[in-house]
Amino acid sequence: MTRGWFLAAMVLVAAPAAGRAQDTTAAAPGVRVGITYTPGTRPNLAVLPGASGAVLDSVRAILQRDLDYSDRFDVMSPPAGASASGDAPDYAALTALGADLAVAVVPMAGAPGAAVEVQLHDVHAGTVKDRAAVPLPPGGGEAFRQAVHRAADEVVQWATGSAGVAATTIAFVADGKLWHVDPDGEGRASIPSAGRPALSPAWSRDGRTLAYTAFVPIGRPLVLQDLATGARDIVPGTEYGVNITPEFSPDGRTLAYAHGDENGTDVYLYDLRSKAVTRLTVGRFYDNLSPTWSPDGGRLAFISTRAGLPQLYVMSADGSNQEVLAHFDFGSTGQTNGPEWSPDGQSVAFHREVHGVPQIFVLDLATRAVRQITGDGRNEDATWAPDSRHLAFVSSRSGVRQLWIVDLETGRMRPVVNTEGARLPAWSPRRTFFSEAG
Amino acid sequence: MMGKLTTAAGAVLVAFAAACAKPPAPAATTPVPAASARADSAARAAADSAARAAARRDSLAAAARADSLARARAAESRADSMRQLVQRQSADTAPALTASGLVPADSATLSDPIHFDYNKADIAAADQARLDRKLALLAAHPRLEIRIAGNCDERGSDEYNLALGERRAAAAKRYLVAHGLAAGRVDVVSYGKEHPLDPGHGEDAWARNRRDDFVVSKGAN
Repeated sequence: MTRGWFLAAMVLVAAPAAGRAQDTTAAAPGVRVGITYTPGTRPNLAVLPGASGAVLDSVRAILQRDLDYSDRFDVMSPPAGASASGDAPDYAALTALGADLAVAVVPMAGAPGAAVEVQLHDVHAGTVKDRAAVPLPPGGGEAFRQAVHRAADEVVQWATGSAGVAATTIAFVADGKLWHVDPDGEGRASIPSAGRPALSPAWSRDGRTLAYTAFVPIGRPLVLQDLATGARDIVPGTEYGVNITPEFSPDGRTLAYAHGDENGTDVYLYDLRSKAVTRLTVGRFYDNLSPTWSPDGGRLAFISTRAGLPQLYVMSADGSNQEVLAHFDFGSTGQTNGPEWSPDGQSVAFHREVHGVPQIFVLDLATRAVRQITGDGRNEDATWAPDSRHLAFVSSRSGVRQLWIVDLETGRMRPVVNTEGARLPAWSPRRTFFSEAG
Repeated sequence: MMGKLTTAAGAVLVAFAAACAKPPAPAATTPVPAASARADSAARAAADSAARAAARRDSLAAAARADSLARARAAESRADSMRQLVQRQSADTAPALTASGLVPADSATLSDPIHFDYNKADIAAADQARLDRKLALLAAHPRLEIRIAGNCDERGSDEYNLALGERRAAAAKRYLVAHGLAAGRVDVVSYGKEHPLDPGHGEDAWARNRRDDFVVSKGAN
């Protein structure tokens, strides 16, 4: 991002009540709005210009945007003349500019246009910190972009010790159908799905299967769809009643979901290998739904209406030890829905109605404190990126319902283009499953 | 769903176990030495009674087995239909209307919706009369079958409202069945908040959208 944005973000964080339109509406009592961010901790990073060409320029543009969207760096405008076409960059000039890190994209000898070397330079040490050869599928299409996204995630790994999330995609529902779009707004494509609407897509942990609710004329079954072959099956027992909110267990062996019939809605587990179905909750004329797994597979957070409005509870994965997870005041706290446990296990994101309008909240499991993340427009259905610091969610703040992404560390929010009318997003695992074929 | 199937399967198992564990009743009476005719006749009566009880248990077990098999077959057939339906993008965007064969006034009585309080699935007292009128009509047209579709206002998640809509439809079905309608003549479905009647965002729109719709799924003629 530009330094200009960085300054604006500091203003937003420092003075949330100073008349800015974004996320300044009244918070729920006892809840802190906004995000604490200590400025100056992010390294300044420049993507260096160099040997020109359509492919190289495209690689640099995608890399720069991915590194910006990682929210780990203050991405600087590339300095003129600080090139890196085989020679070492001008470290002295970069130091004078204030750069800490520099990324160079260098054509590889003997493979012009088919592969590049991506280098991460430590400007202060005057050395190459890490480098990797990146084969580039021809044509500049989906496979090409994914190759560059994976390289960007690698650069983030080199610089910070944990990988980026550019090589991921976000499934969502629009116009009753399933779609996916990459976090940079590119690559929007439909996923041919059963039923209409199809709701609540959920990724298997290997990214090869989607589970979702299909509206068909005689019911609301849960469909398991192989994304490579398009083959579909239904979860046994879901030919009756409403079957909603699927989520795969972290070990990939079990699908948790909610089945509702004339007596109420309850959380069930479906063992994908033995095909056995186990019931975890027993609600008589109330609802238990939206199970979401802790990363160790030992617990499930879920929504229950046992006390009236839907609120957030937690239980052991065998159904025992059911208790309130996010504190609520009976009769005043708005309804709570759409929980998702973070991949690092430390937080649960959900949306809760504040003055009748849904807003995104994050619960810290260590302290059980909740913090309100949004306040502008309707904000709902948050889903975690694999890095546990970005959330995608649906927001009406721009006047249209579309996907937005927030970085919880810096508070930066940005819309995901090409997602008008989107709802029920589900952020994929990292795309090791992506086809390598050009 | 699973609960019902498990219970049925359990009943069969229990019946089997009972039938197998019980030795043939007459064998228990053979050691009785030649005694008075009265004692003999009493023993024979006891044996007959035990045999009849065993036969009744066997026939109950057979009935339970048949019932369970029928259920399993029905479930399997429904699962097959579902598997076929999910192979294509089969829309369920509007309730399928079947020609009811009713005169317009009766048709209006049958389709007259009932409404609910926020986040509730209780039948309001005023709506009991609406359901009673439908009961009279259904009694007069014994071949008519209906579907009840539960709907919600826009508050709460898409998913929670599917659960709530199911309970609203089920509440009306429970009332109708408790007042004499055969359970097989009514089924329920939830549309959650997918089909608001009123696209508005205020309390008036919400009140109109929290409803059960009633459609004919099998006609009177």
